[in-house]
Amino acid sequence: MITQIVKRDGRTVPFELDKITEAIYKAAKALGGSDRRMAEDLAKQVVAYLEEKNLQTPTVEQIQDAVERTLIENGHARTAKEFILYRSGRTRVREMNTRLMKIYEDLTFRDAKDNDIKRENANIDGDTAMGTMLKYGSEGAKQFDEMFILKPVHSKAHADGDIHIHDLDFYTLTTTCCQIDLTKLFTDGFSTGHGFLREPNSIQSYSALACIAIQSNQNDQHGGQSVPSFDYDMAKGVAKSYRTLYRNNMIKALEFEGIEDADSLIRSTLEKVEAETGLWPALNADNGFHAKEAELLIPVIGEEAYKKAYDFSRKFTDKEIDRHTYQAMEALVHNLNTMHSRAGAQIPFSSLNYGTDTSPEGRMVTRNLLLATEAGLGNGETAIFPIHIFKVKEGVNYNPEDPNYDLFKLACKVSAERLFPNFSFLDAPYNLQYYKPGHPETEAAYMGCRTRVVANNFDPSRSVVTGRGNLSFTSINLPRLAIKSNHNVDFFFEQLEREVELVIDQLNERFKLQAGKKVRNYPFLMGQGIWIDSDKLSPDDTVGEVLKHGTLTVGFIGLAECLTALVGKHHGESAASQNLGLDIVGCMRKRLDEESRRTGLNYTLIATPAEGLSGRFVRLDKKKYGVIEGVTDKDYYTNSFHIPVRFPISAYEKIRLEAPYHALTNAGHISYIELDGDPVKNLDAFESVVRYMKECGIGYGSINHPVDRDPVCGYTGIIDDVCPRCGRREGEAVSVEKLKKLGVYKHLNASTLGCCGNADEEADRIPNTL
Amino acid sequence: MKNENIEMVGQGVGFERIRRITGYLVGTLDRFNDAKRAEVNDRVKHGLDSGMERL
Ligand SMILES: [Zn+2]
Repeated sequence: MITQIVKRDGRTVPFELDKITEAIYKAAKALGGSDRRMAEDLAKQVVAYLEEKNLQTPTVEQIQDAVERTLIENGHARTAKEFILYRSGRTRVREMNTRLMKIYEDLTFRDAKDNDIKRENANIDGDTAMGTMLKYGSEGAKQFDEMFILKPVHSKAHADGDIHIHDLDFYTLTTTCCQIDLTKLFTDGFSTGHGFLREPNSIQSYSALACIAIQSNQNDQHGGQSVPSFDYDMAKGVAKSYRTLYRNNMIKALEFEGIEDADSLIRSTLEKVEAETGLWPALNADNGFHAKEAELLIPVIGEEAYKKAYDFSRKFTDKEIDRHTYQAMEALVHNLNTMHSRAGAQIPFSSLNYGTDTSPEGRMVTRNLLLATEAGLGNGETAIFPIHIFKVKEGVNYNPEDPNYDLFKLACKVSAERLFPNFSFLDAPYNLQYYKPGHPETEAAYMGCRTRVVANNFDPSRSVVTGRGNLSFTSINLPRLAIKSNHNVDFFFEQLEREVELVIDQLNERFKLQAGKKVRNYPFLMGQGIWIDSDKLSPDDTVGEVLKHGTLTVGFIGLAECLTALVGKHHGESAASQNLGLDIVGCMRKRLDEESRRTGLNYTLIATPAEGLSGRFVRLDKKKYGVIEGVTDKDYYTNSFHIPVRFPISAYEKIRLEAPYHALTNAGHISYIELDGDPVKNLDAFESVVRYMKECGIGYGSINHPVDRDPVCGYTGIIDDVCPRCGRREGEAVSVEKLKKLGVYKHLNASTLGCCGNADEEADRIPNTL
Repeated sequence: MKNENIEMVGQGVGFERIRRITGYLVGTLDRFNDAKRAEVNDRVKHGLDSGMERL
């Protein structure tokens, strides 16, 4: 006769049959059952079983084992499963309470260098007060969501590492990212919630407001912010600045000539021309403005005075506009690297796409943005933000006869020096299908994390990049599925399909939460009409309908390790593996396309960027399956479909093998090439890699090479052990005299190190022929 | 041999090494998580010797 049981904490408490009955009844009830009597009978059988086993004072664990066994023996397999789920859920809750407090303890008392969680996101400083505060919130929210928000089956899959639900801390709060239409936002001005900003009137205010827009929107979402057509958006600012500068120069010139009331004469003339023809003084002098201007001014001031003032104004305005644009772009890069969002702990994740506007104003924006990036920050440091994406397009900038070919060349040079821009390829068939000349909103764009949003199954007539973004994404642990399949490829595909099914269900659950939010929950994103069609909603409307323009996305990680586990070789090693790899990724894409058709929503597939994730999956798998050669024998899984980073392969072969996966991953992708040495010394090779990406059908690519900097002498380039400029080793001191001799000593003292960007040697560097 | 009167600077100042990680540039390896640090250390360079003719 059982009278007492042992609780988990070791205490002995009186036995209550009712508690077992209740647990069984709850599990049955979850499946629609309502037979309390049967639950009682089963509970009695549990007790009989325990007594038969001679367990006079059983533990809670032993009782639960007995319940599972009894349920299965009586043919209640589904109830047993529900009970197991309930039981593991309770176990997790208990473990989590302990785990969360342990995490808080580590956050509180350990430095980032000793604490992986604090370094989960490389762009948040985990050692600052606000960075730590963000982490407390984030870790607490994650645990809460796992325990109380997620369906138990999703929570378990995430906790076990079958899948990874990204940005789980924001699960109940917001969506990932957005591509901002600055032209639309600026028209008639906008409000940040802290004040109204008038429509900007110069390139300086255009660029300043661009930063504010990015910062404001970042506070409403958990991912990055992208401007898909930055050159087109800023071109209008250049045009407005030109108008003002030209007007002021004309006034100055006429005043110098002693003409009375020059100010009101010029102002009224410009206004009149604009009212009658819509024309402004512009970088393109042949736009028709000056003919009309001459017609009005010559009768008043004479032909000679007009001609003189005109020549003067054109000459100086052309010079000034270039300088103003450069300063605006310099300030923008500076702002995007120093401004903070999210309680001051994080710099906004910004991406700018550009390179295709062929107007003189748009070209001026692109050129000066590249030049400002090339120059670097105040002390010549490489700017970390924004992510630059140069859009490559035949007929626009790809071939020598194209109008923006010079800018493509410049983009290659700057990327060889500063790692940005990356390159996107609008001629890749899957991007080209949306491209309409003269409609920048149809030019495929990328967001820093590689996200791509163009197609719109919810409303195909709105297949545009602007005002849209990703809602959420969840990644599948491919190597795990492969290990579990034990070399059986058919079984692998069965499991993969089941896993995709599970993730689709989870994305839907999350979408339901997102859809129930109101416009007022996103004062900038929705309140200022950034998100497509949100301008048609009122503050208390829910955002569900307009969110349907966004994407629900499945990702994957470790295709290489998956292939190795399945067939012994990854896709860099064998053509058969490459084919299998394409089948695997194609299988996921096909299922998502079906789901899109079925629901009218946008289900898409992404090649997951795996910052926090690449270690977590492999850690769990190593624990579960041990060290498997080529699979779990490293501390990370390879990103998405990439060829493993330590596999020797030529740049061209890597590009050729990875390109077909770009076509399949419609929610985003990127390929990297690691170049040896200083690419600045071989720009032709650099460009040939970019061109090969385009020819192979890559959608988005980037070239990595070492960019080192000595903050003491300001040298930027490759530094092995010894700085090639000042000769010091890391941590060593160098004499001020030597720095002076090198011409790099400016205002150095013990506390302010680093100064220059224009040392003789850098100026002397001769780039390869362009 | 060192003259004590020579003014020196830079003692203890390291080099900055900018690397790209999942699309973002990071100024030092300190802020990478352990797995990503391991990945960066494993990266091999991709040669340009073969395949040029395909262009
Ligand atoms: Zn140096």
